[in-house]
Amino acid sequence: MSSQIKNCYRGRAVRPLKPQDWCDRLMNLREQERKSARIFLVGMCAFLALILGFPTIANIWFSFNDVTFHNLTGEGYSGLANYREALSNPKLWEALGYSLKFGVICTVFEVGFALLLVFILHPLLLRRPWLTAIIMMPMMVSPALMGVMYRLVLNEFVGIVPGYLDMIGVTMNFLSLKHIQFTVIAIEVLQWTPFAFLILLTARQSLPYDLEEAAAVDGATGMRLNIMVVLPLITPAIIIVSFIRFIDSFRVFDHIFVLTGGGPGNSTTSLSIYIYKLFFKQNDLGPAVALSMTLLIASLALLYFGLKLAVRRNDR
Amino acid sequence: MKLIKSTALMASAITISASMAFAEITILAWPGGEPEESLRQIVKSYNETAGAEIGSTAELLYFSRDNFFDKMLADSAAGSKEFDIMLTATYNVGKYAPFMEPINDLIDDDLMSVFPQSAIDSQSFEGNFYGIPTDLGVHFLYYRTDLMDELMSNADWQAKYAAISMEYMGTAMQPKAPDDWTWDDYMASALFFTKSINSDSPVRYGTVLQLKNLLFNVMIWQGIAASYGGDWMDSDGNITVDSAGYRRALELYKKLVELEATPADSLSYEYAEANGAFGTGRVAFYTQWSAAYASLVNADEFPAIAGKFDITHQPAGSVGIKTHFHALGLGINAASENKDEARAFLRYLGTENAMKMYIKGGGQPPVVGRIVSEVAADRPDMVMMSSHAGDYGKVMAGGTSSSALDIYTNQAENFTGYWGGQLDIDTAIANVEEFMANEFAN
Repeated sequence: MSSQIKNCYRGRAVRPLKPQDWCDRLMNLREQERKSARIFLVGMCAFLALILGFPTIANIWFSFNDVTFHNLTGEGYSGLANYREALSNPKLWEALGYSLKFGVICTVFEVGFALLLVFILHPLLLRRPWLTAIIMMPMMVSPALMGVMYRLVLNEFVGIVPGYLDMIGVTMNFLSLKHIQFTVIAIEVLQWTPFAFLILLTARQSLPYDLEEAAAVDGATGMRLNIMVVLPLITPAIIIVSFIRFIDSFRVFDHIFVLTGGGPGNSTTSLSIYIYKLFFKQNDLGPAVALSMTLLIASLALLYFGLKLAVRRNDR
Repeated sequence: MKLIKSTALMASAITISASMAFAEITILAWPGGEPEESLRQIVKSYNETAGAEIGSTAELLYFSRDNFFDKMLADSAAGSKEFDIMLTATYNVGKYAPFMEPINDLIDDDLMSVFPQSAIDSQSFEGNFYGIPTDLGVHFLYYRTDLMDELMSNADWQAKYAAISMEYMGTAMQPKAPDDWTWDDYMASALFFTKSINSDSPVRYGTVLQLKNLLFNVMIWQGIAASYGGDWMDSDGNITVDSAGYRRALELYKKLVELEATPADSLSYEYAEANGAFGTGRVAFYTQWSAAYASLVNADEFPAIAGKFDITHQPAGSVGIKTHFHALGLGINAASENKDEARAFLRYLGTENAMKMYIKGGGQPPVVGRIVSEVAADRPDMVMMSSHAGDYGKVMAGGTSSSALDIYTNQAENFTGYWGGQLDIDTAIANVEEFMANEFAN
């Protein structure tokens, strides 16, 4: 007994393992994990293939064909004509510019507010995790419904917000030409900051506690801890959430369409609204689908780039 | 043997009951308001009477109003069989005609005793009849009687009215009764009743415009252009939007927006918001669809204006009074598998009894004068609607073509761009003309 090192594992004495054995066991375990993951992923992949795969294939077909509402199967292969037509329309670049501006501004505010909330609320949420559910509430409302809700809430005559402001002598017309850009951005930020918050909170909560202890011993507490220790450690999560939020805000449709219809003129026409108008209002089905495909590829490329960046940073 | 007999009996019973099964038809109709309630009553009545006789039942299906026609277009183009009867309207009958079944066989003496020829024409395209008309849409001027009475009798108000019109319009005007208004009177009165211009005004705004980038809002506005002689095309087919009439009408709205005689968020307003603004009693007058009357007279819903408003025709321009008008209707989906049953329902819908029931419930069908006279006591708006469509109704040249809906949409985009300061008037008009030329060329 004395010549053997004894390990106790679930009450059983086990023979010490050689390094090669450890390596083999680890490899086996990983192989098993991969097998299990494949089995579990089959269902989800089949579901995605059915739900997303079919429309994607149909859209690829549409984008290379001369399709109309009267002939949805297409009147013949048209090569890159739809892509050329879509990309040569100057209104596309206006809509693209609006979407980029909207996406960047919303992402900066959403991630910024989310980070601030994580720093402030993390200690409280450790003790009362159920409070997270309350913060998540805006995210649970559908964006179109959010638009309808704010159409009512911000209405000058029947809206509760202008009503209360009126009582204290402040006249504020949130949906006027002067404030409409601010309003549509504010609604997006209010609704989606919780999403960024949730991702960043998870990243914050996954940090090992001994790191905080070590930092505290070195005198880093409070905001200093957040800036010097927490922020660098959750940077990969910040990068990922920023990319996701940018992509999501970039393709905004619902609440803007409900509130302004993309107007006045085209002043709030995002790329998604532009595609919708092209498809339904101008009957340019082919160019609209070609633009959708371009947008999809750009989004995937951006997400891939974001993931790669985050993973690289994590590996460092 | 007994088992075989019972099995055979059961099988025959199943076969017989299957052959007698009621053919259910689904009606996709325009949602909301009194017309929805009225149609529900008609469907109920049909199911209990004519439908029961032929073993058919009808049920209603409603999308939301937002982008209703886009959803219907997508379904129709995909050959959806989810509905047997679908909506049609004067301005899009050409667009949906390829997805609908003509119902020329329903035009008979009985139908013609209920609807005038103009109503039948409003649902026709290229010689075929597609829908039983259900709701006529014209525009009225809705105004506060208490405010107008005071304006017509108060000398101080009249002096101020003249001073304000002099300051903002360059002419000292005298107030007139709304029945006699021109669009200049509309403008002067709107400025007079706007609190930021006239601090003594008992209401916050003179008028409320619906300026959201939405095709229906252009329909309301274009009555002004028509009253100044504006039209989409001349008799030779040339696009004539770049005209004095269109420019006058565009500038009138622009001025009202700039002087804030309409709420600052009007650029996001549509039907409901405008009704809400007038209904809260903070707006002196506005132009709106005739359908709003049935809601606004409901004192429970709009107590602030109960007994204090009336309707009249729209103001006059240089060529007189004009109002856009159209009719909604119900026709048969070409992909339907129950066309006979759908026809039976439409035949029932086009009867005098059904139309009277529809009117009683708040609907506004374009029926003949005899029926309108019979309901005049309960529905004064029906009388006015009927006379308005006949006397002032204007359908723009090309307004029933298959491109009409898209042209309205393009106009909404460009004209709201002008009112909102994003485009100048020349660019807005040029964009519209270019789009229309392409549409008609195609």
